[in-house]
Amino acid sequence: MKFFNLFKKELRELLTPTTIITTIGIMLILVFVGEAFGGIMGDVIEEASQVTICDQDNSEISKSIIKALTVSKVNEETGLPEEYDEELVKLVTLESDDYAKELKRLKENHVLIIPEGFGEKLMKGEKIELINLNKMTSGATLANVSSNEGAVESIRKVIKETYLLNSGLTVEQLANSETIVSVSEKTIVDDKSADISVSMVSSLASMQSMFLPIIVYALVMFSSQLIISAISTEKIDKTLETLLSAPVSRLSVLSSKMLAAGVVAALNAVAYMIGFNQMMKGMYAGMGTVENSDAILSELGLKMTTSGYILLGIQLFLTLFISLSVSLVLGALAKDAKSAQTLMMPITFMAMIPYIISMLIDIKSLAPAFRYLIYAIPFTHTFIASDNIMFGNTTLFWGGVIYQVVLLAICMTIAVKIFTSDKIFTLTLDFNKKSKFDKKKKKGLLNFGK
Amino acid sequence: MEKVLEVKELSKMYKKGVYASEKVSFDVKKGEIFALIGPNGAGKTTTIRMISTLLSATEGDAVVAGHSILTEPAKVRENITYLPDEAGAYKTMTGKGYLEFMANIYAKNPQDAKEYVERAVEMSGLGERINDKIGSYSRGMSRKLLLSRAVMSRPALAILDEPTSGLDILNAIEIRRMIKQLASEGMSFLLSSHNMLEIEFVSDRVGIIAKGHLLEVGTSAELKEKYNANNLEEVFEAVVKKGSVEADEIL
Repeated sequence: MKFFNLFKKELRELLTPTTIITTIGIMLILVFVGEAFGGIMGDVIEEASQVTICDQDNSEISKSIIKALTVSKVNEETGLPEEYDEELVKLVTLESDDYAKELKRLKENHVLIIPEGFGEKLMKGEKIELINLNKMTSGATLANVSSNEGAVESIRKVIKETYLLNSGLTVEQLANSETIVSVSEKTIVDDKSADISVSMVSSLASMQSMFLPIIVYALVMFSSQLIISAISTEKIDKTLETLLSAPVSRLSVLSSKMLAAGVVAALNAVAYMIGFNQMMKGMYAGMGTVENSDAILSELGLKMTTSGYILLGIQLFLTLFISLSVSLVLGALAKDAKSAQTLMMPITFMAMIPYIISMLIDIKSLAPAFRYLIYAIPFTHTFIASDNIMFGNTTLFWGGVIYQVVLLAICMTIAVKIFTSDKIFTLTLDFNKKSKFDKKKKKGLLNFGK
Repeated sequence: MEKVLEVKELSKMYKKGVYASEKVSFDVKKGEIFALIGPNGAGKTTTIRMISTLLSATEGDAVVAGHSILTEPAKVRENITYLPDEAGAYKTMTGKGYLEFMANIYAKNPQDAKEYVERAVEMSGLGERINDKIGSYSRGMSRKLLLSRAVMSRPALAILDEPTSGLDILNAIEIRRMIKQLASEGMSFLLSSHNMLEIEFVSDRVGIIAKGHLLEVGTSAELKEKYNANNLEEVFEAVVKKGSVEADEIL
């Protein structure tokens, strides 16, 4: 009985309306993220099941190979094809060797080319080569999933089973038959191309820019935590009252707080960046590096330039000050240490959602409703800033900057308004109770003026 | 005698028609200790916060050392210090570090700041502990430090909300003596307190506030005589009860 009494009391203290609303909020956010991921994963799977082929050979052999790629069902006993699905292969024609231009014209990101003379070389037992064209539009992991690699493997299998088995090759030659079909990899970024696989370019690009999301996340979290804690502690300890009644302007108090939090957060972010950079160097030291990786990235326009770093700096600056001004408003709402912790939640989610999503998905490929919701989170534009700079999405980059500037102006105005008015002392976030003035009014304590 | 503070029909309305304090008027003269007393939620802290320029006044005005809280809040802040009820200090600072920090805000030059700190260190009576972190101080030590901070710049008006709340008797006596001493040297005080004995001992005049209205102002002796009471506690009870009846009648 006593135990249940205690248990009930503890539950009542922990399950406050604030906690419940926060939990429901988190759940809804996760559902939303799941929906967004579900949609994009469906698209990725659908895209990965279809291969776009340009048959420049146009021989019986190339046609039969393409036909073999459309097999959708195989008889389990005989191993012979039973059903075909023509939609598994999309045939396109390239009009020139300017692959960047051709992919743009065809609106395709991945094309596998069966070059001229393919069938003839195969019949002669000469080495044959497929050309794998991949257009990179984002550094996000799932953005560069291509069906071409699977198709290449299927082609190798078909060639081995259909042609080489009946060609009189020895067992040893057959074992090495897979080397007969080689692949020439070409990656295209915007209007530039390089002879390297898209997965390799993706790894090199992400190694170069992977520090940015970490800095953004660290900056947002540190600065928010510092300012929420600083404001709420000063409010709770009443040191803010002492300070604001002293001969110093409120704007000086506010700006000194923001600047100090910004400096400390930036120092933390730099320390994180150095540590992380060293960690990555250590990790990659044993793995060896791709020869001329810098040259390859430069060739594709993916090497971050000085102006690129300046643009990133602008984004980071905006992010830091948005985070500080939003935190200042949230800190003003805190009535105790517990509520100050709860108030970190919105910032955490505003940083975490774009961080995770931008790492995996090209946000541009999301359904419009999800896409604009994600873009509405101010920190999204910073997480995708390096992607936008590297892949030439200038409209999106500057759109993001303008949105952040407008939002910063709004948040700063609200923060300054709160800090320079009574609200810094009267605002609190408390779902549990009616305001104390409502209570007093109800009790008839404050109606003297009526 | 010269008025250091003149409060004129000062009102604060948080919500439409809901006044936390309404048409409060009183004055504090140079070297005077004026105490505002009243039950919880009576409007003492709201009135004090308006005079301290922390909250804006809905109606009325208060003039501190010739400066209006409405038109010259910065000048008002140069002439007051405010010690909130149950205020803390920055726990990671040392006592002396805190005094130096605050002195640099109030002082017009480094020499003044140095003088303020020396004065406050002496008044606090913390001895060597002044160099320790505030986080390690007892409540009494913190309060003495904060009070020293509040008077170190010799402001025209020191506003102290519950200056001895939560302190043991010896510390409270020490603080009351300090206030008396400083007032005799010409500093004016506006206090708020629940402690009637303290108010009777320390203050020159008392204002009794209830339900946002200042119901009585006078010396302890005058009020005791008017209400035929033995002490200020009885006066307080009678005034607040009378105030409630009047308030209910108005309602």
